[in-house]
This record gives sequence, structure tokens and C-alpha cells, in this order.
Amino acid sequence: MIDAALPRLVLGAVLSLVAVQGVHADNIQDFGPQTFAQIKSQHAGKPFIVSLWSVDCAPCRVELDMLGKLKQADADFPLVVISSDSIDKREEAVDILQGYGLDGVPTWMFADTFVERLRFSIDPQWYGELPRSYFFAPDHSMKAHSGILTADKLAEFFPY
Amino acid sequence: MRMSPTIFERFGLGLLALLFWLSTPVQAESCETVRAAQSSPQISVHCGGAPSAVFDADGHLWVAFVLDKHVYVTRSSDEGASFAEPVQVNAEPEDAEFNGENRPKIVVAPDGTVMLSWTTKTSSQFTGEIRFSRSVDGGRSFETPRTINDDGLHTGHRFDSLFLTESGKLYLTWIDKRDMEATLARDEAYPGAAIYYTVSSDMGASFMPNVRVSHNSCECCRIAVAPHGKDNVAILWRQIFDDHIRDHAIAVLSPQGLVSELSRATVDDWYIDACPHHGPSMVAADEPGQYHMSWFSAGNLHAGIHYARYDLGADMPADLIKVDGTPGAGHPSLALHDGTLYLVWKGFDGMSTPLQLMQSQDDGRSWSAAQTLMSTSQGSDHPLLITSPRGVFLSWYSEEFGYVFKELSND
Repeated sequence: MIDAALPRLVLGAVLSLVAVQGVHADNIQDFGPQTFAQIKSQHAGKPFIVSLWSVDCAPCRVELDMLGKLKQADADFPLVVISSDSIDKREEAVDILQGYGLDGVPTWMFADTFVERLRFSIDPQWYGELPRSYFFAPDHSMKAHSGILTADKLAEFFPY
Repeated sequence: MRMSPTIFERFGLGLLALLFWLSTPVQAESCETVRAAQSSPQISVHCGGAPSAVFDADGHLWVAFVLDKHVYVTRSSDEGASFAEPVQVNAEPEDAEFNGENRPKIVVAPDGTVMLSWTTKTSSQFTGEIRFSRSVDGGRSFETPRTINDDGLHTGHRFDSLFLTESGKLYLTWIDKRDMEATLARDEAYPGAAIYYTVSSDMGASFMPNVRVSHNSCECCRIAVAPHGKDNVAILWRQIFDDHIRDHAIAVLSPQGLVSELSRATVDDWYIDACPHHGPSMVAADEPGQYHMSWFSAGNLHAGIHYARYDLGADMPADLIKVDGTPGAGHPSLALHDGTLYLVWKGFDGMSTPLQLMQSQDDGRSWSAAQTLMSTSQGSDHPLLITSPRGVFLSWYSEEFGYVFKELSND
């Protein structure tokens, strides 16, 4: 009985997962007005890095390349990647993230057309320029950087 | 900001007009309302992406927008209160870009020729083509779109701007990556992209070969164009100085393909290797050779939206002011009509986006206090100012109000 039921249970679980995620078999999640607060609480007491990018930003690709290599070398590296494109562009974003080995980690895309409010929820001082990165210490005191993040700058801003 | 009592008095009437404007209900309707009123989804200016607008010589308003991979043109005979059935420009669908910095551009010549340019995205690697189409039958039908960049390369040609001079020279300018490709192929560095242009002297029937204006421009900011005499134009764009500083340059272009030496129009010292996606606005001042500029920077010297008047003869900006330093404020648009200079931009207060207006009666030497024209707490496009012989109008798309076209001046 148990042996026969197991495949059905697994199949059921897979089907419900598909239903929850809709037709999108990727790791991209909606970024809404509350998402950044949730991300911070998930990292309570821990340091993490935020990298903001968009499909239309050429310098962002240089940064994604560096971060992809870092993530491959250390799967536990606390990296939060957020695209400021509309989540309608998810297929294009997945293609690009694949190229840097970042399609396997959860990332976010803007899922609200009132982008000004989403930007504000991340950082009221951000003008919208990309790439933009943030370095959160364990107590969540924060440093910001605009422009391409290099490995050297990352080591300087994020000594954890 | 300087304000003398006389200036304030002169603004009294303008303020009254503005209050009247604010009390008039917005006639536009959101796309949601338009769709709810119809049995099937409809092609409407209130549902289109990134509209741009222009008046023709007879005072008719023309608006171009993008919807589902097509560029459309619609016409209004009552200054935007109502619109005719939109006409499709490209019969074959193409990935026409529509965002704040990349929108279809439209001009209508005095002879009635309707001319459009736009950028079509050709991959996710920042490639695109500069497209052009026109109508010679008063906007009833459009010619098959043509690609205007003449290098035949699968590379970046984007962020087009279109401008028709008084003498009938049609300028098309854009950001181009052909030189970057060639340089990288030699294993040499090439910061940014390049600015290119072409001119048509026969209302878009043909264009001269592409001409380079400058190497090392920023890759992703709209280019501002204003007349320089009858035949020439001045253009203002974000340029990379000393490999890392993204401030603005200005140059004069001729229909023969002659390009003046570029001048540094803004010194903001913005050291950044990033994409601001935030181009300037520029209109010609009444004094020949002088230009009103408004731009965004987050530089060491200037952060926020700024205004200055640039004198090509003196080679320097004058009366520079910070318009709005709030992060989130941006995308200024300038217009000059009958001695009044208008500056509109998007603010942001953390909850909503106010559209802000300020005016100057003395060529940008002093300004009125900022007034809020409208406000939305939903998504919205950049505001654009459109000038006709009658006055200055706001052209603005937002989710909440749909496409709004309203007169700002009252003369």
C-alpha cells in the first residue's frame, strides 16, 4: 500500500508546486512594496548583499558575471538579486541569469507598475541608477554603492 | 531660487490660470475604464505605451504610441479631448521599444507629411535598429518601415530622436555601438557608445549616409534636440568624460554632415559606471546661440534635477539652479512660449508621484515656486511639454488617468 501510494503523493506534490508557480518553472519571485522588508526579516541578525540590475543595463552584466562566479564558488553566499524590470520580462531575465549561473538561486523582479514606490521601499536615497548594490552588516546597518561592483570593492564593503 | 515682488506679481495671473486648470476635471480615462466600456480589448491612446505628441500646421494634434508590437498614430481635432481611430504604422509586428527614454517620435511637416522614428529591439544584448516610416496621405496609411542605421551590423542602435527644422531638414540622431564593436574586436577598451545622426532633405524619402557626432557617449539616455538657425540643430546628450564621468555634451550638426567640436555643457562630476536611463531636455532660448537645459545628475557637484542656460558663444552655462534634489524626482521637460519658460518634472514623496511645474518670465534668471499639477499613486510615464503657436500643453500617460493632454498656458 505504502509503496503504491508514494509515487502518487510525489506526483501530487509536484503538481501542486506547478499550480502554485503557474506556468513559470523558474526561480523568479514577485517583488512588491512589502518584499524588501520581508527579505530583511529573513536575514535578521545576518549580513547580506543586494544587487539591483535590469535587462537593459549593460554595466549590470559585468557585475552579474562576478556575482555568478562568487555564488558558484560558495553556494551559501548571502546574495539577493533584484531586477527592476517588470516581471513581464521574466523569460528574458532568466535567459540572462542562466548565462551567469544565477538562474538556480531565487531572484526577484518588480511586480508593481508604480516603480517609484518599489525603489523607495528598497532605499529612499536611490535615484534609480543601475547597477546599484547594498551591503548589510549583521545589525543591518547599510552601505550603498552605484556602478559596477568589482570583487575588490565587494571585499572592502562586505568583510563577512 | 530668487523671487522679486515684481516677478511674483507677474505670476499672479499665471497662478489664477493654473488654479482654473487644476479645478477642471481631467477628461482622460484610464485604460481599465476604456476596456471595461468595450466588449473586446481596444486599441486606444489610453492603453498605449510611451506616447509622444506633436501639433501640425493646422493645429491638429497627432499622438504616436506602441501597443502589442505595433506603432500607432492617432489624431485629435480638439486638442486631446477626443481622438480618431488609431492607424497602424508597421503592418508586421516588431519589438518596438516603449519606455521613458525610448518611445516612438512623431513630426508633421507643413506639407502634411507625417514622419515617425522608433527603436526596435533585436535581442536581449542591447541590440536594436533605428526605424523610420512616413505617411504621404495625411496619416491614412504608412510606408513600410525602413532601417536607418546603415552599418548592417547586429549591434546597438537605440534611443532615437527626430527633429524637423523650419527649413525642412529632418534630423534623426541616436546612440550607436558600431565603433565599440570595432574597437573591442581589436582588444582595445571603448567606454560607452557613440552618437550618430543622419538628415533627410526630402521629407523622409531619402537620408544621407550616417555621420558620427561623438565617440564615448553614455549608452542609455535620450538625446535632446533644438534648432540652431534655420538649417542646423544643437543636440545635448550624456557623454563620458575622462572614461568615468557621465556629464553632458552639446554640439551643433549641419545637414551637410558637419559636426562642431563638442562642448561640455554640464560639469556635475558624476563618476559612475552605470546606466542612469535619464536623458536631458533642451529648448532654444530667444537669444540665438543660447539654450535652456534641464537634466539629472547624481554627481559630486550637482545631485538632482537642474536647470541652466547654455551659451554656445561663451561656452558656459549660466543661472544654474537645483530644481529638485529629492531622490526619485526626475525626467524634466522644458518648453518656451511667448516669453514664458515652462519646466515640468516628476517628483516623488514616498507615497505618490506629483507632476511639478515652475515657470520663468526672464529666460531662466528667476523662477516661480513649484506647483503640483496632478498627482498619482500608480505607475506613470515621463511628462512631456508640447508647444503650438497657441501655447504649451502637457502630454502625460499614467495608469490612473490614461493619456492626459492639457493646456498649461492660458493665452
